[in-house]
Parts: sequence; structure tokens; C-alpha cells
Amino acid sequence: MLADPELLTALHAGDPATLAALFDAHADKLYRLALSLLRDPIEAEDIAQETFVKLMTRPEQFEGRARLETWLYRVAYNACLDRLRRKQADPLPDDEPEADGESLPMPQSFVDWSATPEAVLLGAEVSAALEAAIQQLPESLRAVFLLRDVEGLSTEEAAEALGLSVAATKVRLHRARLALRERLSSYFDPSSVTP
Amino acid sequence: MTCAELIQYLSDYIDQDLNEELTREAQEHLTTCRNCRVVLNTTQKTILLYKQTGRQTIPAERRATLFARLQAALSRDATGRDHVPTS
Repeated sequence: MLADPELLTALHAGDPATLAALFDAHADKLYRLALSLLRDPIEAEDIAQETFVKLMTRPEQFEGRARLETWLYRVAYNACLDRLRRKQADPLPDDEPEADGESLPMPQSFVDWSATPEAVLLGAEVSAALEAAIQQLPESLRAVFLLRDVEGLSTEEAAEALGLSVAATKVRLHRARLALRERLSSYFDPSSVTP
Repeated sequence: MTCAELIQYLSDYIDQDLNEELTREAQEHLTTCRNCRVVLNTTQKTILLYKQTGRQTIPAERRATLFARLQAALSRDATGRDHVPTS
């Protein structure tokens, strides 16, 4: 695989193999981010396409300071936010630093489902519970969790992709993890109540 | 370390981002507090489950169509056209 600047040079020289390599490396990641935020596969495909088109037609916007992957995530994320803003009556929260500690919700469920057999955890029922839990998260927490814990970006990379400070990214990731844990715990222990 | 402090530091503990002293205090707390151990174990399992199952891909037939549209866009761009339709 070529380094990012070499990839871009080859791409703009019209090398179809380079487009294929970039598409293979990044299309699904952009699709997952957009699908997670917009919940619509067709819109998610559109976001992936728009992002690549922007890379091809506005290459000067990629300054090379960030990794190409981080830059692509940022373009896709901003495109998703634009679509969400057009759809939602309530604007998304600004990316201000968030206080932690005092307002952090404390865990309410203490059932230990971590030793549940893999066959159960990877079954259709739990899969549906996982999907329901993550869709209940605010978009601002969902995006951080996806990039950091599912896609494996570092905190710094996720922060750059989402236009957040590292501190705000860590706070959002922590809140997302605790909220998802609580909702899954409620699934495994219906007697507990998730706020 | 109290339960509230352990929960506050939980993600940093999982990510091994705590300094040595706080890591030791967290470990000591976890040896004596069953509830915090459960929260740690289930949070780690939550992360692992999403990592294992959260990697949807573009459906194969849609993927081919999307790539063909991009190839067409690249071709137009190479011939000097500015406007690229996105759908």
C-alpha cells in the first residue's frame, strides 16, 4: 500500500487500481459511520460516495496533516451532521468540552452477564439488543464509540475525525460505554431498570 | 478509592491510561468490591461484543454499483469536468 500522498498522486493521475485500493480500504468504514448516524443504508452509501468524490475533486482540502483515513471520516461525519441538522428540529449539541464526574450516571445494574456463552452473545436476540442499545445513544456519543471502540482509532484520531478535543472525546466515550453497558445489563436482567 | 471514583476512572483503567498510583488503587478497590468488578467485566464485554458484531459492510451488489459510480466520477474529473453528480 502506498503512503497517503503517493496514493493521492496516483489517484489524480487517473489510476483505476488506486481508486480500487482506496475504496477497498475505506468505503465500508465510511458506510458504517454514516449508517450508525443516519440509520439508512441508501443515505449511508451516498455519504460514502460524496466523501470519495470530495477527495477526488477537492484534493487541496486534504492538507496531509492528518492521516487520509481520519480526513475521510471527518468529511463523512460532517456530511452526516448536515443531513441530521436538516432532518431534526432540535439542533445537535455543540462540541463544547463536557464536564464529567458530577453528572456521570452511576451504574444501576450489577448482574454479571460477562460469562454468558458466546453462542448466546453472538445470537440474533442479543444482536438485536446491541443494535437497539446503540441506537438509543445520542449521535454525538454513538460516533465516538464507533470510531474508538469498533473501528479501533486512537483517542487522538477519533478526536480529530470528529472535530473534538481529546478531553471531550474521552468523556463522550466513557458515557457511551457506561450507557451501553447499562442497557445491555437491563437486557440480561429485565428486573433492573435503565434510566 | 471509592466506587464513584472507580466508575469515573473506569474507561481510563480499561484503556490503561491511568498512572501507576491510580491503577494500583483501582486494582485494590476491585479486589474487594464485587459490584465494581461486575461493572468492569460487563463494560469490557460490551466493548468486545460491539467490536465483534458492529462491522457491517456495504451489500455486495450495492458495493459494485457504488464503485462504478466512483469510477465514472474519476473519469469525468480526469477529463477536466468540475461537476460530479453524487447520486
